[in-house]
Amino acid sequence: MYTFDIMKIENTKAQMRKGVLELCILSLLSDGEMYPSDIISKLKEQELIVVEGTMYPLLTRLKNAGILAYTWKESTSGPPRKYFHLTPEGTDFLKELLKTWDRLVNVVNESTKNLVENE
Amino acid sequence: MNKTNNINVGGFPFVIDDDAFDYLDDYLKKIDKHFRHAEGYEEIVEDIERRMAELLNDRLKNKRIVSREDVAHAISVLGTPEDFGASDSFEYETYEGNDYQTGKKLYRDPDDKIIGGVCSGLAAYFGVQDPIWVRIVFALAALGAGVGVPLYLLMWALVPEAKTPRDFLAMRGEPINVKNIARIVEEQVEHIADQLSELGNDWKSKKRKKKSD
Repeated sequence: MYTFDIMKIENTKAQMRKGVLELCILSLLSDGEMYPSDIISKLKEQELIVVEGTMYPLLTRLKNAGILAYTWKESTSGPPRKYFHLTPEGTDFLKELLKTWDRLVNVVNESTKNLVENE
Repeated sequence: MNKTNNINVGGFPFVIDDDAFDYLDDYLKKIDKHFRHAEGYEEIVEDIERRMAELLNDRLKNKRIVSREDVAHAISVLGTPEDFGASDSFEYETYEGNDYQTGKKLYRDPDDKIIGGVCSGLAAYFGVQDPIWVRIVFALAALGAGVGVPLYLLMWALVPEAKTPRDFLAMRGEPINVKNIARIVEEQVEHIADQLSELGNDWKSKKRKKKSD
């Protein structure tokens, strides 16, 4: 069925994005602390995320896992804001993720090489 | 003139139009329901509410009262639970993945019943294509030693009836995923439509009888 194939493709794409999203968030935070909506606007540019609501569960999960921590800051435009930063464990975790990512990129490039050349 | 409400969003006071209030209240309830079973539920909902307050505040600037458009704008930034599910859901992958499968469970099948749906439930559980065979076994057991009737009543009382799409899938031992749940819901809607048209026909024929009497 045609519609089902589209669903499958969309699902696979979403899974791929989901896989790299964590890596991208941690990389952004490695430059210093950030406010969620700033992280989101960066990710929106890359089309990795569409709406802000998806971000909060992920940040909470990473915080509970000890990878991220936050500090409260007063804001002139509303309630106090949570600024997130990497914990020392988070920094190690990011290093591990980057290694895995490099290996993945090599493997994927290697295994799709013939397809790209044939195009 | 419009009625307004005083509300507190994420610890921040707002004056909001009546219709905008309903819209916002409905949205926040949906968010609450969506994340109810997620890890860190309370924190997620608080974060979203605080961000909502900030977005509304940004829109206000020189105005005093939050309008429906302001709420709509904030919702478009935050996204609705439908948006979360469509692309990047983090906590709900179990629903979409094929690996999430509960074992078969015994239920009574309300869609295919003569008395209480015990036989059709058993047929589904043991993978018997047509529940008629289970019914024959029960009928024989009732005639022969007489255990059929008490056994049936006991099972009727003890075995739960399949109600949610999840129950139906577990009854048939099918994996619980979005596709299957959608199919079950479709089936049930059809079933209800069938029953309604049957009822309609019954009623018509009764009416006709009355008239001819």
